[in-house]
Amino acid sequence: MHGRGGQGAVTASRIIATAAYEEGKYSQAIPMYGTERRGAPLTAYVRIDKVRVRERELVHNPNYSLCFDPLIGLQQAVANDLKPGGKVLLNAPYAPEKSELAGDIEIATVDATSIALETLGRPITNTALLGAFSKATGVVSLESIEKAIKKYFPGRLGDMNIAAVRKSYEKVSPWVPAKNKVAPKIQVDLNVGGYGTLKDVSSWRVFYPEVNEEKCIGCKSCWIFCPEAALEWKANNKPAMIDRACKGCGVCANECPVKAIEMKRVAGA
Amino acid sequence: MSYEVMVGNKATAVGCKLARIKVAAVFPITPQTTITEYLSEIHASGELPGFEFINAEGELSSQVIVQAAEAVGARSFTCTSGPGLLYMHHPMQETASKRLPLVMAVVHRGVKSMQPDHSDLMSQQWQGWLHIYVENAQEILDTTVMAYKIAEDKRIRLPVAVGYDGYVLSYTAEPVEIPAQEDVDAFLPPYKPMPSILPDQVDPKTFGAGWGEGDPMKPWQMHHEAALNGETVIKEVFAEWGKKFGRTYGNGMIEPYRVEGADCVITAMGTIAGTAMAAIDRLWTDGKKVGLVKIRSFLPFPRKDFQEIAKGVGAIGVFDRSCQPGMWGPVYHQMRSTLYDEEKKTPVIGFIGGLSGKEVRVEDMMKIGEKTLKVAEGGKPEAPIQWV
Repeated sequence: MHGRGGQGAVTASRIIATAAYEEGKYSQAIPMYGTERRGAPLTAYVRIDKVRVRERELVHNPNYSLCFDPLIGLQQAVANDLKPGGKVLLNAPYAPEKSELAGDIEIATVDATSIALETLGRPITNTALLGAFSKATGVVSLESIEKAIKKYFPGRLGDMNIAAVRKSYEKVSPWVPAKNKVAPKIQVDLNVGGYGTLKDVSSWRVFYPEVNEEKCIGCKSCWIFCPEAALEWKANNKPAMIDRACKGCGVCANECPVKAIEMKRVAGA
Repeated sequence: MSYEVMVGNKATAVGCKLARIKVAAVFPITPQTTITEYLSEIHASGELPGFEFINAEGELSSQVIVQAAEAVGARSFTCTSGPGLLYMHHPMQETASKRLPLVMAVVHRGVKSMQPDHSDLMSQQWQGWLHIYVENAQEILDTTVMAYKIAEDKRIRLPVAVGYDGYVLSYTAEPVEIPAQEDVDAFLPPYKPMPSILPDQVDPKTFGAGWGEGDPMKPWQMHHEAALNGETVIKEVFAEWGKKFGRTYGNGMIEPYRVEGADCVITAMGTIAGTAMAAIDRLWTDGKKVGLVKIRSFLPFPRKDFQEIAKGVGAIGVFDRSCQPGMWGPVYHQMRSTLYDEEKKTPVIGFIGGLSGKEVRVEDMMKIGEKTLKVAEGGKPEAPIQWV
C-alpha cells in the first residue's frame, strides 16, 4: 500500500486486517515508518492467511498494490515487484487505460480524492479506496470493511467513512491489462525520507497555495507558520510559494487572517 | 474471552490492565510511546479502579517512581526503548538489588539507529533482571501477565524485562485473543508485598539499606541463585498458562520448531524467530532438515534445554541481533559456554544480523540454516562468526 503521511494508509492497512479477521482469517498489518511527516510517501503491508501469520519481513512481492495518492500513482515504483498477473488499484481521476504503469499487471482506478472531498470534506483517501478494493478484489467483503471501520471510527465519523466506502464500491473501474509491458529505465525513488528543506517535495502536493496579493496585508503569518520554510518574501512585501519546498499542507491558508491564500487542487491530482 | 486486531504496544497495555497494575510511571520515547498513550486512555476511562498513571520527567525518574511503588506493595509497570533504557541503567540495578518484582516492557530500538535491534536490552545484562524476548502481539499480552507471576514468585522476587522489536511489532496490527478478566484473576493473585527476604539487614522494614555485620557477598549469591531459579519458575508458569488458556510457547524458556528429526538447529529471538519459522518450512520442503529453537528467556539462559538439544544435532547456528564491538554476539557466547563441558562436542557457529533495523528476510534465515547444515555434515564454516 502506497500513500502519504496524512492520507490514512496505515489505518487502511489495519482496517483490511481487521476485516479479514472478521471473516475468520488471520492477518497482519505492518506499517513502514521512517522520519514521518505529513505529505511524505510511506508504505504499509498486509498479509492475510488461513493460519496465524508468523513471518515478519516486509511484503516484497505482493498480489495487490493499492495507491492512495494520485501523484505517487504515476510512479512505476507502485507497480514493480508484483507477482505475475498482480493487480494495481489506483486513486486516480482517469480511466485505467490511461495509466502508463508497466508490467504483467492489471490496473483499476477510482477517483478517491473526489469521493473523499464529497463525503468527508477532506482529501483523506483511505476509506474512499477501501470500497473499491473490496469490489475489485473480493479479498474482503464490503460488510466486513464496514464492521472494521466502525471499530476505528465510532459515531458520525464512522458513518461518513462508510459513505465513502460505499461510493468507491460503486464507482471503481473494471480491471484492465497494463498497456505498457516494459518498465521505464529511469524511475523516481519514492523514498524521500529524512529532514531538510533542500529536498524537492513538489511531487507531494495535491493542493498548492495561490496568493491574492490585493487581499494580502503583508503580516507574514503564513511565512512564520509554514512548517517547511516554503514561502519566500518578495520585494513588494507579499509571499510566494517556493516550488521545490512546498508540500501543499495548507497551513499558510489556514493561518492567513484575511483569507488571502487559497488552496487550489493541482491538475491531475 | 474476546478478540481484537491490535498493535503490539496495545497488547502490552491490555496485558497490564488484565494484570490489574496499580501504578504506571512512564516517559514516552519512540517506538514505545503508544504504550504510554494506551495506558493513559485506560486511566482516563476509569475502567481499571485504583490505577495511578504518572507522567515522569525522564526514564531515570520513571524507574525510580515504580521502584518506590513496588516497595510499598503496588503492582507496577514501566516501559521504554533504546536510549531511554540506557538512561534508566542506574536505578535498574537498584530495582533488582531491592528484589522488587517490577515488569517493564522494552520496545527494542537500536543504539546506533532508531530502528530496532537487541543492543538496548542486551546492554543491561548485568542489572540483575530476567530478560524475556517475545515474537508477536499475542505473545506480548500473554507474557506481560505471566511476567508478573514469575517476578512475584517467592523463589524469584526479581524484576522482569519483556523485550520486543520496535516498529515491526510495536506498530504492527495482528489478531489478539484477550482472556477474560476473571480467568486472569484466578491465574494471577493480587500482589502481596513481602517483608524483606534479604538476610542480615539492619532493619527488616527498610529496602536496600545496609547489610549489618553479614557477609557482603551474600546478597549477590542470593540474587544469582534467584535468577537461576528462573529456569524452573518460568517453565512452571508457562505450563500453567498453557493449561488454563490453551496457548503455549514451548516450555517458556525456549520454543522449538521442527527440531524433531532435524540434523541441525538454528536459534533466533523476537520477531526474527517468526520469519525463521517460514524459512524452516521452506528448508524442509527442499529436503533440508533444519530445526529452529526460539530463545524466549535470555536471562536466565536455557542451559539445560540446549545441553539436551545439542545431544541430538550436528551443529547449532546462533543468530544474534546485537553485537558487542570487539566481543561479537552475546547469545553466541552464552551458547558456547553452555555446551563447553558437554561430552559430545557440538559445533556452534554465530551469525550477526538485523542490526540497526536491517531487515532480516526469509532467504537470509534459509542461508543461515544451510550454512549450519553444512557444518553439521562435517564441513568447515567460512568463519566462526558471520555478518548477515
